[in-house]
Amino acid sequence: MDAEAQESFREFVANRSSALLKTAVLLSGGDRHAGEDLLQNALIKAAGRWHRIDEPEAYVRQILYRQQVSRWRLKWPRRELSVAELPETGTAPDASGAAELRLVMRGALARLTARQRTVLVLRYFEDLPEAEVARILGCSVGTVRSATHRSLARLRALAPELTALGPAADEQRPSLDYSPVEVRQ
Amino acid sequence: MNVDELVRDALRDQAEGQPPAAPGFADRVLAVRRRRRSRRLASAAAAAVAVVAVAVAVPMLDSGKQDVRPSGGVEQTSVTARPDQSPPRDVIAADRVALAAYYTSRNVERSADRAVSERTYWLLNPKTKKYEKADRWSYVAVAPGLVTAAVLERDLPVRRIGLLDLASGEVKRWIPVDRPVAGVEFSPDGTKLVATTYSQSPDQRVKIEGSDDWDALFMKSYRTGFHVIDVASGRSSWAEVKVGSGPDDPGTFLNSRQDFGFSGDGRLVWSGLPSEPGKRFYDVAGKEVAPPARERHRDWGVEAGVSPDGALVAGQFAGKKWKTSSWILDSRTGKARTEVRGQQLLAWADGDSLVAWDIGPDGNEFHQRLALVTMGSDKVVPLSGFRSPDDTKGRWEPVFAQR
Repeated sequence: MDAEAQESFREFVANRSSALLKTAVLLSGGDRHAGEDLLQNALIKAAGRWHRIDEPEAYVRQILYRQQVSRWRLKWPRRELSVAELPETGTAPDASGAAELRLVMRGALARLTARQRTVLVLRYFEDLPEAEVARILGCSVGTVRSATHRSLARLRALAPELTALGPAADEQRPSLDYSPVEVRQ
Repeated sequence: MNVDELVRDALRDQAEGQPPAAPGFADRVLAVRRRRRSRRLASAAAAAVAVVAVAVAVPMLDSGKQDVRPSGGVEQTSVTARPDQSPPRDVIAADRVALAAYYTSRNVERSADRAVSERTYWLLNPKTKKYEKADRWSYVAVAPGLVTAAVLERDLPVRRIGLLDLASGEVKRWIPVDRPVAGVEFSPDGTKLVATTYSQSPDQRVKIEGSDDWDALFMKSYRTGFHVIDVASGRSSWAEVKVGSGPDDPGTFLNSRQDFGFSGDGRLVWSGLPSEPGKRFYDVAGKEVAPPARERHRDWGVEAGVSPDGALVAGQFAGKKWKTSSWILDSRTGKARTEVRGQQLLAWADGDSLVAWDIGPDGNEFHQRLALVTMGSDKVVPLSGFRSPDDTKGRWEPVFAQR
């Protein structure tokens, strides 16, 4: 990496790291340190081919997502535990209170697997269409659809308060791909 | 409200609650990248003992006498290559430099989550001209002339430095130091030592959660400063160099081992920084000073450093003209003067040739051998056999000294 590339890399990180870190923290289930590690690794990979990247932000985001999915697959098979109980919230939340519901949802999101969470972050935080999510993750549209389906179902299972909510549009279309998204219970 | 709307709200709410990334995040990323890269590609740069100098003199081992004598351990011939040996058994040399020693590293477990990376050295015996195992030492620097080495015992940091007679393998003198040291390097003329002081071993390794590998401490430095020691008298001074205090100070992001070395004229002490400005120079009292003109563009990650005449400086990997090649820069302007073969430049053999790690015809970037490369020439002279691509005991790291 020459001095010019380093300068442009620094500028990019200074301008975009806070936004990228938000995504990385969401992908990590709200764990700030894990999010920083995730972003750091993605940026290291990007730095290695900096002068060949046309759209750095899109590139780094893609590494973030794929890294998170493969990290779950390869390295941290037991790191995240699925728990059937509700997250500790002290008192029973008032289902009508939006803030409380968001907290319940946040706790449930943290208990998804990395892959389930990644699909939801792409669909609902980044607001990307299914085809785009499929391209980023390197899988079929059907897989994205079924993964979204199962992730939402899993959220409901984790937090019964959410059962009162209406189904998502994604849940109202049939999933064409029934390959297992999440094999651990 | 639908479940997807709540997911969206919850994610946005959580994202908005995140404080911004810390200033200096780019430097942190570049520092980690550099550390991983240098570990992956070849020897740890901080440990390099490639000595570049013009004047050659070696301290006598007996104190109290007039303390310098000319070099002369290994006869100077142009190139002595062992392309069939890895690790080498017999002397390897090219013009003014010789492979004075090599070492391998292994992690010695101290507890479930702590280990220490320990080196085992093989030192060139100037009489037999063979490399002999010397497993008593945790760190070795060879003086120009290949007669004497400065050695540190096991369990770094230690409170004395041995002066080893390389022919007999005996320590002729111990130099005690006030503050514990874990790294040492000779001045280019061999009359002084700079010893880096640490409050704890810089070679500690830890297990990061979720990883099966041992890693160096990240952004944690126990470095305290340096001793400059007059070899003849054993007199030493110590200068404190504080580790930086925050993300805005590049001195904060140090590798766990980040040793000090001498400037080309032996008058200043310097150390690399993983982040910009890349290095800092100090006087012997530890006061930061401007880099000498010829060393302004020296890169601590490139062991070869400044050329014998001071006009050029070895640069980073280029990879333009050939799959593996490196830049040679003008030492005053930092501009690329030419591209030379070689994946990683280790030591200047003469005014226009360097010893480098380079790959072979198989193109595998982890399958390297020592080679002599020359500016303006396509020719690569293999000096050693290929090093094992795995990070195992077969992976040896070279230590060069001037003959």
